[in-house]
Amino acid sequence: MKIICVVKIVPDVDSIVCDVENNILTGNAARMMLNPDDACALAFALGVKASDPDCFVEVVSMGPMSARPRMEDLLRLAVDRGTLISDPVFEGSDTLVTSAVLGRYIATRPFDCLLTGSHSLDGGTAHVPVQLAETLGLDQMLGIIRIDPHRFDSTRAVFEVEDDKTVTTYEMAMPGVLSVTRQSGYKLPYVTLSDMRRDVSDELAIITNQDLCFSETDVGPAGSRTKVVNRYPQTYEKKDRHIVGNDEAGISCVFNFLKQKGFL
Amino acid sequence: MKKTCIFQDTEKTQNTTDLLEVSERMYGRGQFESHAVLLADSFDPLMGSFHHIIRVAKGLVDCYDPRGICDILENLHKKNRFDSILIPGTSLGEMIAPRLAKRLRTGLVAGVTDIKKEGGHIEIIRPAFSGKILEGVLHTGNGPVMMSIRPNAFEYTPGDPLQTVVSAYTEPVSSPSAVTRLHVKENQQTCDIRDSEVLIAGGGGVKESFPELYRLADALKGRVAASRKLVDQGIAPRSIQVGQSGKTVSPRLYMALGIHGSMQHMAGLRHIESLISVNTAANAPICSLSDIVVHGDAGKFIDRLMKKIAVYRS
Ligand SMILES: Cc1cc2nc3c(=O)[nH]c(=O)nc-3n(C[C@H](O)[C@H](O)[C@H](O)COP(=O)(O)OP(=O)(O)OC[C@H]3O[C@@H](n4cnc5c(N)ncnc54)[C@H](O)[C@@H]3O)c2cc1C
Ligand SMILES: Nc1ncnc2c1ncn2[C@@H]1O[C@H](COP(=O)(O)O)[C@@H](O)[C@H]1O
Repeated sequence: MKIICVVKIVPDVDSIVCDVENNILTGNAARMMLNPDDACALAFALGVKASDPDCFVEVVSMGPMSARPRMEDLLRLAVDRGTLISDPVFEGSDTLVTSAVLGRYIATRPFDCLLTGSHSLDGGTAHVPVQLAETLGLDQMLGIIRIDPHRFDSTRAVFEVEDDKTVTTYEMAMPGVLSVTRQSGYKLPYVTLSDMRRDVSDELAIITNQDLCFSETDVGPAGSRTKVVNRYPQTYEKKDRHIVGNDEAGISCVFNFLKQKGFL
Repeated sequence: MKKTCIFQDTEKTQNTTDLLEVSERMYGRGQFESHAVLLADSFDPLMGSFHHIIRVAKGLVDCYDPRGICDILENLHKKNRFDSILIPGTSLGEMIAPRLAKRLRTGLVAGVTDIKKEGGHIEIIRPAFSGKILEGVLHTGNGPVMMSIRPNAFEYTPGDPLQTVVSAYTEPVSSPSAVTRLHVKENQQTCDIRDSEVLIAGGGGVKESFPELYRLADALKGRVAASRKLVDQGIAPRSIQVGQSGKTVSPRLYMALGIHGSMQHMAGLRHIESLISVNTAANAPICSLSDIVVHGDAGKFIDRLMKKIAVYRS
């Protein structure tokens, strides 16, 4: 079986500092990490490979060259091929363009299943997997918490999706796009010491627009159909707060408030 | 006259009308023609609110098939040339909106929480960078304006009832999904915290005393909610998480026990009438938004308040 994991290297959001007054985001390049949902998707794929050595796992990402070290880390796991699609002309692409770029590359590769995360930490819109599926003419499902390893092959996949009220089991004909969430709890294996020391610098395939041949007016900000024009701080209405102690007087104050408002 | 198309909120049909507020903010009351597209049989709650209700005929498409539903919406757009297409940000909506945007080659703004009109421009507001800031987005290009709307972010006040024209959509779907639903299991947690007027919410400060919250919630006829901290630690189920990556709630009373009040948590609070917070740090951000701040340990607070309520009730 051939699996392609479509992953995003994201800035660790906690390290982003937002300077609203000057309308800039700083610390963007600070710490990069594999998007948590995507780590779960890859962990599942590597689990399949562990029990079926014929399984081929490719990891594909589109992003700046600064994502390279994190992509190389993945090559130190049992990943068979790693590809980073990176070109300055792709920078600032929206999800429509991102999915078109990923789709054009992936269409040239053999696969039975595409695994992705559901949401990315920084984008968080879940547009890319859905639009990638549309680009490739495939079915797609978000929010997967479990894939049945015994009913996962090149013809079909059986998996569970959780929402508020239900856990639903679906079967999807393959090839298709399965988007996994963190709630799945799939965990990447640890890198062995010898793999940690391995030089993987020439194993990562770099794909640029020379390979993909997009017109420059169709990618990057030029290809976007939406434009961010303003950034606002989140503001909340401040109240005349009333601080009380956690004692008889304080409890009475809360109690009376609840009574007066009709909650008791 | 502008034309707006609103896809059904399949989780709560009656909430579909709230999306009319989005159209109204964009175009002004009475300045647009509204079309609702419904899968479900029941459309009573929407009668009188929309100009058109388009009911998808039974058996045409599975209610969990985003690809098939996209076909229908794409077709309807070809016929009607909508100026805007609004999709509720439900789990199904999240799989429909990006697909449809791709097919219509139009931009999509996701998780919209507000609309601003600046000059002649419509600025679409959504939280960005995990809720740290709000972004104002302009739609460019010629396609229809497409948005997915954050559940509970808008509230519509109905005007005079309209003469609703109901029609049936019967064209066969050309590219349905090859997906079958095998099994549906109810989650234990079946009540929705969004329906509750009273929420007793716990955070990192009540890790140990979390079960106690249920006692207090019962006493106040409310439900228990949680911050992401407790969800990540496996103490509370995800379905009761409030915030940016959880739910938006508008209860009359929100009691925040041991919750710091991070941006991402506060993003889930909307139109709260009364907020009481209990915190060992009186300067936690949530405190400046509270009607009453109890300075101290939340576990002890629950104990003491429960005693007081018990005395009162006896
Ligand atoms: C992409 C992203 C999305 C997120 N989405 C959400 C979301 O949807 N919802 C959400 O809640 N968070 C979300 N977060 C996480 C958020 O940033 C905070 O980390 C989280 O809200 C903190 O939870 P907390 O306030 O309960 O815990 P803490 O930060 O641990 O705060 C605990 C509070 O309790 C007080 N305290 C400690 N002990 C006691 C005691 N004994 N009695 C009373 N008070 C006590 C402390 O003073 C402190 O104020 C998100 C983060 C990211 C990056
Ligand atoms: N630039 C990218 N390169 C590869 N995969 C991506 C990229 N952006 C998003 N994805 C995939 O799409 C999922 C959802 O991301 P998003 O649409 O940003 O919420 C991620 O978990 C990834 O699997």
